[in-house]
Amino acid sequence: MKKISTIELCYGAIFICLMAIGANITYWFPFLSIPIGGVSVPLSLQTFFSILAGLMLGKQLGAFSIFAYTLVGLIGVPVFAQMQSGLFVLFNYTGGFLLSFILVAYVTGFLMERLTTITLPSSTSIAIIGVLTNYLVGVTYMYVGMNTWLNLEITYLAAWLGMIPFLIKDLGLAFIAALLIIKMYSRLSFKTSHINSQNTLQKSVKR
Amino acid sequence: MANSLIIGQYVPTDSLVHRLDPRTKIIIIFLFVIFIFFANNALSYGWLALFAVASAVATKIKLKFIARGLTPVWFLIIFTFILHLFVTREGPVLFEIIGFPIYSGAIIQGFAISLRFFLLILVTSLMTLTTTPIEITDAIESLLHPLKKIKFPVHELALMMSISLRFIPTLMQETEKISKAQASRGVDFKTGPIKDRIHAVVPLLVPLFVSAFKRAEELAMAMEARGYQGGEGRTKLRELTIAKLDWLAFLSFSCVLIGLFLLRQ
Repeated sequence: MKKISTIELCYGAIFICLMAIGANITYWFPFLSIPIGGVSVPLSLQTFFSILAGLMLGKQLGAFSIFAYTLVGLIGVPVFAQMQSGLFVLFNYTGGFLLSFILVAYVTGFLMERLTTITLPSSTSIAIIGVLTNYLVGVTYMYVGMNTWLNLEITYLAAWLGMIPFLIKDLGLAFIAALLIIKMYSRLSFKTSHINSQNTLQKSVKR
Repeated sequence: MANSLIIGQYVPTDSLVHRLDPRTKIIIIFLFVIFIFFANNALSYGWLALFAVASAVATKIKLKFIARGLTPVWFLIIFTFILHLFVTREGPVLFEIIGFPIYSGAIIQGFAISLRFFLLILVTSLMTLTTTPIEITDAIESLLHPLKKIKFPVHELALMMSISLRFIPTLMQETEKISKAQASRGVDFKTGPIKDRIHAVVPLLVPLFVSAFKRAEELAMAMEARGYQGGEGRTKLRELTIAKLDWLAFLSFSCVLIGLFLLRQ
């Protein structure tokens, strides 16, 4: 891994904070729960922010900062969803989603670095791939976890069916992430920051 | 809530467990998590439970605080137990509940799994109850030090974590401000189709991003102005030291492990 500069370090740390806030966004905005098929799905922006970490910071720094976020939660700071923390989160059946955020940031960052121009379709498809990575790892972990250490037998299909309302919500948010990254690329402070020298952010944005 | 975040779940007392080096605690708990899967009969489970409860008592933390850390998982433990009662079909039938036969094997297995789960959570939460997040961050930096050989940025990882510990409460206040500001402008999130509601997060997120990035840039500038240039040659305010007490802890934990292998079948 190449050396991390001071500004990159700070951006990484700020993304940890954003993840922590995104996980518990309903604490400040309790109204942000979305009814899908009769189920009220509480909004969590973890997938959203891990996608943005990949898109903005690139594969290495993005994945690294999400990894650091996971560690911060594991050492007992309540930064996970529902203010949870501690190692046992990984033993829970939703632990796979947490671990997958690292991969999500890496995958979205990887794809973003391959782009030469950003358009709405390309950033949307990257974000959707990010969400799918998230659910593929998360649901598989849930399935494996339930059938092994929790000894609850469920089928792989049942595991997926239970997650569908959440998947719909996250796909919606992925679209917002795609929209935001386009708006930010042309407007936000990257141009003035040192991070500009990084290869991911050098690409010209054509709209 | 911002207060509870800075210290995490940490409860200060003057116990021996608190005085242990954070690295000692991490190593012991890591080994415990692995070796708990070796327990396979009542005696070995009892032995590990004894160790876990003894360490919990040694922390001198009030039961109230320990129980509070366990609240989110009680449901899972009980749920696992009940599900086992109905699903497992081993051994003779003991009795029936509304037509469901309950097997003796089910009770034993359900109890064993729930106990394993409980012990895992108890011991790992003792770690966070007796150690501040910043101490654990230092310990992680020290324990992962060998990874520097493969160019893994250990120092940056630890520093990133420390910075985020400092800024999470600040950004949370910022979020609160934004929520009040948008509410006072009469932004409506409560009605409309799914698409509109998801779209409504944009006016919340954009100001959050702007202020977060501004902070990151200011911080980077402040760090560079003070001569920060990476982990090379950097000294520490808090030095970690392995003392006699830590060797004692390792010794007694090895006794626990030896006992475990003698007791298991």
